[in-house]
Amino acid sequence: MNSPWLMLCTVSAAIAALGIAVETQFIHVGGRALSAASVVSRANAAAGIAVPDELKAKFRRPEKIPAPKANPLTPEKADLGRHLFFDTRLSKTGTVSCASCHNQAFDWGDGLQRGIGVTGVELPRRSPTLLNAAWLTALMWDGRAETLERQAVLPLTAEHEMGMTLDGAVERVKAIKGYAPLFEAAYPGEGVTTKTLLGAIASFQRTLVSNRSSFDRWIDGDDGAISDAAKRGFLLFNGEARCSKCHSTWRFTDDSFHDIGLESEDVGRGQFAPPSVTIMQHAFKTPTLRDVRMSGPYMHDGAMKTLDAVIDHYEDGGKKRPSLSPEMKAIKLTPGERSDLMAFLETLRGPPFQVDVPRLP
Amino acid sequence: MRTLLIVTVALGACLLGSRFASAAEHTIAITHMELQEIKEELRVGDVVTFVNEADMAHNIYITYEDGSVDNLDTQVPGMKRTVTLKHAGPAVIKCWIHPIIRSDIEILDKAE
Repeated sequence: MNSPWLMLCTVSAAIAALGIAVETQFIHVGGRALSAASVVSRANAAAGIAVPDELKAKFRRPEKIPAPKANPLTPEKADLGRHLFFDTRLSKTGTVSCASCHNQAFDWGDGLQRGIGVTGVELPRRSPTLLNAAWLTALMWDGRAETLERQAVLPLTAEHEMGMTLDGAVERVKAIKGYAPLFEAAYPGEGVTTKTLLGAIASFQRTLVSNRSSFDRWIDGDDGAISDAAKRGFLLFNGEARCSKCHSTWRFTDDSFHDIGLESEDVGRGQFAPPSVTIMQHAFKTPTLRDVRMSGPYMHDGAMKTLDAVIDHYEDGGKKRPSLSPEMKAIKLTPGERSDLMAFLETLRGPPFQVDVPRLP
Repeated sequence: MRTLLIVTVALGACLLGSRFASAAEHTIAITHMELQEIKEELRVGDVVTFVNEADMAHNIYITYEDGSVDNLDTQVPGMKRTVTLKHAGPAVIKCWIHPIIRSDIEILDKAE
């Protein structure tokens, strides 16, 4: 259990112990680099939906949940984190928990255009899903946190989100006697500290993994798991539509930052880059498409209500400005191709990943 | 006097030569989401050329120990960007676009 990489069986047992409904079965990644010859063209797509194995392999799920050496994942930490995640007492007013904006009924987002926290003020950005957060290499829309442990501080202490101080959160949890045994089980002898509080929340978030979808079954060899339309959509996604330039890997994001030419004053990652780094102005992290909500909203500011609006934007190519990502090139899809792309995106939605809401101490 | 002048000029030429020789050139390929491993010693004054062999744009930058940054600007596929290493000590090479790209390096003092 000291390994930063927990074996699948351990995690499965741990998650089962938490009462988390899991259908996930990870598959070993056997990906190889795509050769130039494997680049998919429309002609290829039309000629019988032949999909190169090399391409499919790039989207195969990993077999283990990663965790940092400094905070190995254990069932006890995840269980403690589950309690803290749902506990509104971690907010200044006692009315908002992590689960308020990351609601499992909304695929671990909130379904709103932009989040709302303790002050009732609408936040500047949309609440992203937490699914598959264990694999993130940059967190927050602007990437200002590198780990889940560091990220957990940000909403907890943001004035309009949970509005707490870290010390205040620790003191409040210390005052709830029922938490003591949970902390002792998770972090023996360490007690309630900033480190254990944040570490537990991060650990719980690592256990939030998308359930296997029909797309995964297809990747694993069940050719009938998805429709021909979805297969054509997958080829478009990786070819002419250029989506996989950024929405790559099994999570359908490479955690990259791009200005995709949205009409927004928010400079995103540009806030943390020198002014000379033009390309980071208006740049935001590429969101995952796993369990993408077909009903939206979309983009960092939730400004787009439908997937059709999103595709319209990529067809247009975005607002032309010096920071516009070089990957943004106008595309043109026929109505049939658009329909195929939608059919493919639907296959990324597995059964909802849900946990038991805890009875709080 | 003439002998002294010749010796001085010769010594100067040698020093210049050694200084010139110390400014090595290195090439680092960026392949998809990885930087090619750097096996040679890197020294202040060395010139490093980054070659984007990926099929996507990158924007490499080097952060020195004192926090100063050399930004190489955006490189579309096939493009080369060059930087002269400025400070000795530990430094980090990263990509603004893809935070997963990272290489920790040690830059040695200029050889004299």
